[in-house]
Amino acid sequence: MRNYFAQIGAILWKDLRVELRTRERLITMGAFAVLAAILFNYATDRVGVSHEDIAAGLVWMTIVFAGLLGVGRTFHLEAEDGALQGILLSPVPKDAVFLAKALSNFVLLYIVALLVVAVFMLFFGLEVGSSAGMIALVIGLGVLGFVALGTLFSAISTGTRMGETLLPVLVFPLLAPVVIYGTSATSQFLEGRPVTEAEGSIKMLAAFALMALFAGSWLFRFVVED
Amino acid sequence: MSSKKIRLVGTALAMIGLVWLGVVYWMSFFWVSTEVTQGVAQRIFYVHVPAAWTSFLAFGLAALTSAMYLWLRDERLDRAAVSAAEGGMVFATIMLATGPLWGKIAWGTYWTWEPRLTLTLLLWFIFLGYFLVRSSTENPEKGKRHAAVVAIVGALDIPFIHLSVIWFRSLHPEPVVIKAEGPTLPGDMLATLSMSLGAFTALFLGLFLLRYSLENLRAELDTRSRHASV
Repeated sequence: MRNYFAQIGAILWKDLRVELRTRERLITMGAFAVLAAILFNYATDRVGVSHEDIAAGLVWMTIVFAGLLGVGRTFHLEAEDGALQGILLSPVPKDAVFLAKALSNFVLLYIVALLVVAVFMLFFGLEVGSSAGMIALVIGLGVLGFVALGTLFSAISTGTRMGETLLPVLVFPLLAPVVIYGTSATSQFLEGRPVTEAEGSIKMLAAFALMALFAGSWLFRFVVED
Repeated sequence: MSSKKIRLVGTALAMIGLVWLGVVYWMSFFWVSTEVTQGVAQRIFYVHVPAAWTSFLAFGLAALTSAMYLWLRDERLDRAAVSAAEGGMVFATIMLATGPLWGKIAWGTYWTWEPRLTLTLLLWFIFLGYFLVRSSTENPEKGKRHAAVVAIVGALDIPFIHLSVIWFRSLHPEPVVIKAEGPTLPGDMLATLSMSLGAFTALFLGLFLLRYSLENLRAELDTRSRHASV
């Protein structure tokens, strides 16, 4: 068991180190998030609708789109170098490879997601106030479910002719629960409602993340076998 | 069953389904009484509900055979999965077309974010992904595996989508047949609906078997042409 976690840790650390050196995905996702917030500012009516009412939805859509941008490239670098073959041939169980990949995506996307919230606070004057911790929890759970599905389907789309263009078609319909519960809980916290009101949504986000992680670590072996 | 037998049974079931469907149309237009509040528009119910039921049956069958394919790696299971998924797409499309037509008259709008309609629309897209994945890999065997994974994740995700879209909003008429106190649907309407459920199921099973034997023939042709070229 300890060995299993060491294997996950090794792949996770390798991925994060690659990202730290290239900073490719963090920079593109981060820039995307800020630019999307700027465009949303012009695309929404500041007078008619108050920003608190739509901010939660915009935050979540930005996270989803930025996430697709980054998650879609999970296996890109390795597939180009033929390094994926090496990892898959190493005596690491496939589910450990999957969990490591999903976790490295989680770290990157969570950083970007928190940046998205910060950018919206700055540009749209959102007050997070005392519920900052709860918002961070909601976003963390949603991002976890997202990267679990995203990593699995990124492995699928990398192997197709259509590549990343296929990813949103595969992932969006499955992500409806994350967007629905995530947006609802976030907007309740932004409006300063008590925790009990969002409890159901938080539980569903957690259950979804568990299901997605389980499905991913079980099915990943069928995606990468050759 | 030999592949010829499957074809025969499929043809027979499809023919029975078609004739039965004719009876259902006659019943729903001329025999069953008109619903009091919704008027004539309610008659689309006898197509809409059975189509929905059939598409869920078909998608369920596709997910089940996909999981079994990944487990047993029998080509026939994959052929069954793709045949069921195609049938599911057809009946889901019927459900999605008839729902808004009725909604325009009953609710005054074509589309509402009604949970069951939304669920079927998302399912439709999940299986669109199933076919895209299948057809866009160079190695067909890989496409089959990937498509099976899409179908299984879709099946695991459905309870979540179902709960979330219900939670989001519910405008849809509540179930009138399967509920704790027993059906509240008047007798003649229940009879028409049951007939229609039977007709749609027979038609789907017939089409499914025909489609399945077509896949078998294709595979056989493929093997033969490969042998010939060697």
